[in-house]
Amino acid sequence: MRRSALRDSLVAYAFLLPGFLFLAVWVVYPMLKALQISFYDWSILPGQVSRFVGLGNYVRALHDPLFWLSLKNTVAYALVTVSGQLLLGLIIALLLDRVTKGRVFFRAAYYLPVVTSWVVVSLLFKYLFNSSPSGFVNYLLVDVLHVMSAYVPWLSEPETAFVAIYSLGIWKGVGWTMVIFLAALDTIPTEFYDAASIDGAGRWQIIRLIVLPLLIPTVVIVLIMLTFGAFQAYVQVALITQGGPLHRTEVLLSYMYTRAFRDLDFGYAAALSYVLICLVFILGRLQLRMLRSEPVY
Amino acid sequence: MNKAAFSITGGLVAFSMLLTLGACGPAQTPTPVTVRETVEVLVTPTAGPQEPVTITFWHSYNEVSPENDMLVNTVIPMFEEQHPNIRIEPLTVPWEEFLRKLSTSMAGGVAPDVARLDIIWVPQLADMGALTALDEAMPDFDQYANAVFPGPLASNFWNGHYYGLPMDTNTKVWIYNQQMYDAAGIAGPPHTMDDLAGQCAAIKAVNPDAYLFAADGTWAWVMLPWIWSFGGDITDPDVTRATGYLNGPNTVAAYEFWLEMYNDGCFAPVVLGSGIDPFTGLAQGLYASIDNGPWTYPIIQSQFPDMEPHASLFPAGPGGSIDVVGGEDIVLFQQSDHPEEAMEFIRFVLSQEYQLQMAQVGQLPVRPDLIQSDYIANHPYYGIFLEQLRTSRSRTAHPRWQEMDEIITNAGQLILRGEMTPQEALDSAAAQIDAILAE
Repeated sequence: MRRSALRDSLVAYAFLLPGFLFLAVWVVYPMLKALQISFYDWSILPGQVSRFVGLGNYVRALHDPLFWLSLKNTVAYALVTVSGQLLLGLIIALLLDRVTKGRVFFRAAYYLPVVTSWVVVSLLFKYLFNSSPSGFVNYLLVDVLHVMSAYVPWLSEPETAFVAIYSLGIWKGVGWTMVIFLAALDTIPTEFYDAASIDGAGRWQIIRLIVLPLLIPTVVIVLIMLTFGAFQAYVQVALITQGGPLHRTEVLLSYMYTRAFRDLDFGYAAALSYVLICLVFILGRLQLRMLRSEPVY
Repeated sequence: MNKAAFSITGGLVAFSMLLTLGACGPAQTPTPVTVRETVEVLVTPTAGPQEPVTITFWHSYNEVSPENDMLVNTVIPMFEEQHPNIRIEPLTVPWEEFLRKLSTSMAGGVAPDVARLDIIWVPQLADMGALTALDEAMPDFDQYANAVFPGPLASNFWNGHYYGLPMDTNTKVWIYNQQMYDAAGIAGPPHTMDDLAGQCAAIKAVNPDAYLFAADGTWAWVMLPWIWSFGGDITDPDVTRATGYLNGPNTVAAYEFWLEMYNDGCFAPVVLGSGIDPFTGLAQGLYASIDNGPWTYPIIQSQFPDMEPHASLFPAGPGGSIDVVGGEDIVLFQQSDHPEEAMEFIRFVLSQEYQLQMAQVGQLPVRPDLIQSDYIANHPYYGIFLEQLRTSRSRTAHPRWQEMDEIITNAGQLILRGEMTPQEALDSAAAQIDAILAE
C-alpha cells in the first residue's frame, strides 16, 4: 500500500518535471539572475567585472523623479483601465446573459480585440488619434459630430495622450472580463432566480442581492489579473507616445526598457523590475485580503 | 480554512500568477539570440582546399531597399570573389532594435564580427569594451585613416584610440519647395537667418495654413545646425562642461529665434509631434522648406513623383552655415573569432570600388579622392551635400551622448511649450549635462 503510494507520487513528479524544467529555465533562472544584476553596476560583456553596488540601484530609484513619475502614471493607468474593464465587462456580461438571439455573435465581437495583436492595435490607435485635422478622431469629433470646435493635438499633450492609451487598454480588455463573468454567471443555479422571482424580487433586486454577491470571488480574481496586466503595460505606451512628451506618459516598463536597452544600464533596470515585482506582489495580497469573503450560500 | 493558511495560499497564488504573467510580459520575454555559425579552419600541412571562414556583418539597411540589394547582390559577391577563403554573412537589424539585439548577443558571447554602426553609438560601445581599437589591431590603419574625411573619422575616436573607420557619411542641407517660393514671390532660398525670418509673411499671405519651415522634433540632430550657425555650442571643445556653452548667449539666441518663429506660426507645430511629417508637408505644399539629408530625394521621388526638391546651404547665422554630420562607421568586435578576416572586409569597405558602388544607392562616400570621380561630379544632388560637409560638424563624441541628447530634446520641448524661457531651460539642461560629464 505504502509502496504504491510512493510510486504514484513518483509518477506524478515525473509528469511535473518537464513543466517544472521549463519554468526553471525560462522564469526562475532569469528572475534570480535579474535579482543578482540589480545589486551591480552590471557590465553585459562576458568576462568583464561588474561592480557590486549593494542597494545602490534601489536607493537611486528613490531619488529618481522619472521613476516616481512613471510609477504615478502606471498606478493611474491601472486605476482607470482596471475599473473600466471590470465595470464594462460586467455590464456587457449581464446584458448578454439575457440575450437569447445572436449571443454567440456579440460574444465573438466583444472578444475580438482580446485576440488581436497589441502592436497592431497600438499602431491603429496612434493613427486614429493622429493630431492633424485628418486624424480620424479629430475628424469625427469636429467635422462629423461637431462636439468640439478645434482639432486636438492628441498625442503631444500628456492629458490627451492618456485618453488614447487608456481607451486602448479598456477596449482591448473588456472582452476578456466579459467572458470570465459570463462563465461565472452560468455557474449560478437557475433555482436561485426561480425562487427569487416567486418571492417577488425584481430584475434589479436579483442582480443586487443574488448575482453580485455570488460573483465576488470572480471579481477578486479578475481584479488581481487585470492589475497585474496593467502594471505590465508597455507596448501601447512604447508605440503610441514612446513615453513622451518629456517622459510625461512614461510607465514603469517603458522607463525600464529605455534604461536597459538604450543606456545599457542593466543594473538599474533590473532594480526597477524588482521594485515593480514587490509592488505588484504586495498589491495582489492586499486585494485578496480586502475582498476576501466566505461563500454566500 | 483558517486565516493564516488562507493568506499564505493567497500570497502563493498571487506570486505564481505574477510569475506566469511575467513570463508573458515583454520584460521577461526570452529574446531570440542569433546563433552564429563558426567554422573551424584546419591548418594542417596535408589539408586540401580550406573551408571558408564566415564573417557575420550586421547593418541596418532595410531588407527591401536598393542599398541592401547592392550590398548583398553586388558588393559582397565582389569581395568573396577576391577572397575565396572568406564568406560574408550580412544581417539586417533595424536601427531601433540594434542596441537591444547587440547587447543581448554580446551578453551571450555571440556578437557579430563586424557591424555598421550609427556614428553616435561608437563611443558608447567602445567605452563598454565591446570594440577592438583598430589603430592598434590594423598595422596599416594610418593608410586608411588618411584616406577619409577627418570629420567622419573623428566619430570613431574615444579615449585615445580609433575604434572604427567611417563607412558612409551624410549631412543635411536646406531643401525647399520652389513652387511655394514662386507663389509667394520669394526670389530664392535664404542665405542668412535674417533672409529666412523675412520670408515668413510672404508664405503666410498665400496660405495661412502653410509654414515656412518644418522639423519633426527638438533633438540635437534638428537643433544643432541652429545652435552652431548662431555661434553657440553644447560643450567646450574638450567636452568637460556645458555651462557657458549650452546656456551661453549664442545658444540662447538660437532658441529665442526658434521660439519666435514657432509662436508666429512660421515654424510648423510638427516639432512637438503633432501634424504632418516634414517630407509629406514639403511635397504637398504645406511646408516651404526643411533641413534634411540625401535620403529626402529617394523618399520624395518614390512617394511624390511630381515634386522636385531643390536644395541650398543651411542659412548662415553669426557662426556661419553649419549643419550636422551623420553617417555610419564600421567596427570590429572584441568577440570576433576571426579578426584578421574581418579586418580584410573592413579594408574592402574603405576601398574606392566599394565606396563608388554604394554611392550609386545614396551612400555618400567617405573618401575625398572620389569627389572628382565622374559619378560624384555629375551626380544630380550630391554636390550640395559635399559642399555643406566642408563646414558640417559632428555631435559630441561621448559614451552617454544619448542621455545628453535627451536633455537637449527636453529643453527644446520646455521652451516651445512655453513652460520655461530659453535661458531657464538651457541653464537647467547645462547643469544636467555637467553632472554627466563630471562622472
